[in-house]
Amino acid sequence: MVSDQKQSVPRRFVLVISYGLAALAMIYLSYSLPHLLPGDFVTAMYSSSDVSLTPDQEAELMAYYTENSGIGDYLVNLLTLDWGYSYAFLTPVSTLFFIALPWTLLLLGAANIISIIIGFVTGVEVSWRRDSWVEKGMVGGITVIEGVPEISTGVILLVVFSLNLQWFPTAGAETAYADVSFWARLIDICHHLSLPLATLILAYFPGNFLLTRNSMMMVIKESFVTTARAKGLPAWRVRYLHAARNALLPLVTRFGLRLAFMVTGALVVETIFSYPGLGTLLFNAIQARDLPLIQAIVLVSSLMVLATILCLEIVYRIIDPRIQHAN
Amino acid sequence: MPINSTGTFFRDPWLMAGLFLSIFFAAVTLLGPELAPFDPWDISFAPISPPSARHFLGINDGGQDIFSELLFAVRNTASFGLLSGIIALAFGIIVGLIAGWFRGLVDMILMRIADVLLAIPAIMILVLTAALFRPSPWILALILSGMMWPSISKAIRAQTLTLRESLHIKSATQIGGGNLYIIRRHLMPEMFPLYLIGFSEKARIAMFMEASLAFLGLFDPSRKSLGMMISYALKYYYMDIWWNWLLPPIACLSLLIMAVTFLAISLEKVLDPRLKEIVGA
Repeated sequence: MVSDQKQSVPRRFVLVISYGLAALAMIYLSYSLPHLLPGDFVTAMYSSSDVSLTPDQEAELMAYYTENSGIGDYLVNLLTLDWGYSYAFLTPVSTLFFIALPWTLLLLGAANIISIIIGFVTGVEVSWRRDSWVEKGMVGGITVIEGVPEISTGVILLVVFSLNLQWFPTAGAETAYADVSFWARLIDICHHLSLPLATLILAYFPGNFLLTRNSMMMVIKESFVTTARAKGLPAWRVRYLHAARNALLPLVTRFGLRLAFMVTGALVVETIFSYPGLGTLLFNAIQARDLPLIQAIVLVSSLMVLATILCLEIVYRIIDPRIQHAN
Repeated sequence: MPINSTGTFFRDPWLMAGLFLSIFFAAVTLLGPELAPFDPWDISFAPISPPSARHFLGINDGGQDIFSELLFAVRNTASFGLLSGIIALAFGIIVGLIAGWFRGLVDMILMRIADVLLAIPAIMILVLTAALFRPSPWILALILSGMMWPSISKAIRAQTLTLRESLHIKSATQIGGGNLYIIRRHLMPEMFPLYLIGFSEKARIAMFMEASLAFLGLFDPSRKSLGMMISYALKYYYMDIWWNWLLPPIACLSLLIMAVTFLAISLEKVLDPRLKEIVGA
């Protein structure tokens, strides 16, 4: 145990360093890519937009965008939340970003927690009913759902439940200008959240289900499960406290591995439902060719994903003895 | 990891469904331009007409035949996925074999790079480059495959580490086989199942990415894509177009991604020996 800890500390250190380097690489990329554009940043931004500039304005913008020319200044600006000025929304980029961020965190957080719980519980229960028609049907149905991309689920839910049945709102995260009590507001927010949330859950939980089932299939045959059953423990205790604990860890590992890919789905789903999170903000920025905003969203959200994955890796290196031994 | 009998291989219904759908879409991809009754860029028809005998999915807002558009869109989305899948696979095989066979410092550096690439959201890099430079889809496919190789190379590296301890590789080294000889003649052919699994997983991600990028409007607007058709059709949701204009691209995209998903899941089930013991029994 002593030697394990000795080894796992440098390994953790290596991780922090490599993710730190990745973050720096991302920052450098986002700093240097606009400089690679033919011509200068201002012409590149405005030539493709509908704005026409007087020479005075052009000089002013040029001064604004070229005064911080070094990577050092760029880093300082990044840390002090001075991410430039969005010319489509006429607002500082950081203001727009922090208005949108809570909605994305709410949507993604809720979707992941719910889909992990649903996937885990159904996975455990189904693997216990091995070879029954319930198992075969569930595995089949969920494999089909796994194949349907978020774009399709989202658009179908939108067309059916918002546009045709009109049970749910088509856009937004809450009713605008509604001056209502706290509880009414909460219900309103949940009402707006339900369709995008359902779309993401349908996209995320099949993977969790299939993974839990596969790991459970291996665990069930272990002798400690037989022992637990032989001791006469209640079925739910055997299932969840003895067997399923071993299937939980792959879910955490997988979450870290899939987070970078999940961003794509969240982006599209937010856009479909006009949910006012980072995805919709990015979509609007792309439509308006608002480069400072695009750059800031791309960079900061990637850095946030990197930080989350680093935290997860460190956490499950601590909770999983097997990972410590493997290193 | 040899395929021990073709019997179990073809008895898996998911694999058959995946193969069937893939063959169908491969045919559409290859023959699309021949099958299309009209030029999808021809804008000479009456905009937003319902389906008729001549145009069986009707006409879109720009006066283009939707069925011809759909054929070209499937072709573009599928070929984007296949191309990035193949390139990512090639990168993944090379890096995985080098890291697993030579080990040491090379292994450490390559695997740290892989860890880092796994943590960076590929879509963000694609959005940034697409928004700044408006590159051709092939460049984007190349960038995407540059972001996707790590998980393939990790699987290949792990298998290489196991294989290099096996008896036949040891004896190949003993009779004086060089690095390149062993990698080419022994390691590469033996890991063939891993290539299939890796490729179908990556092709799936790439098709999904292509549809998402097109949906967000990051491709050249004249390039036909399933994502872009969905995004345009959604703008006219208030008209009665959803079953002839919105549904076909959604159905095609879902079936396309289902095809590769079924292949990925069932190949893993059939070819991964650890899972086969349990599931394939």
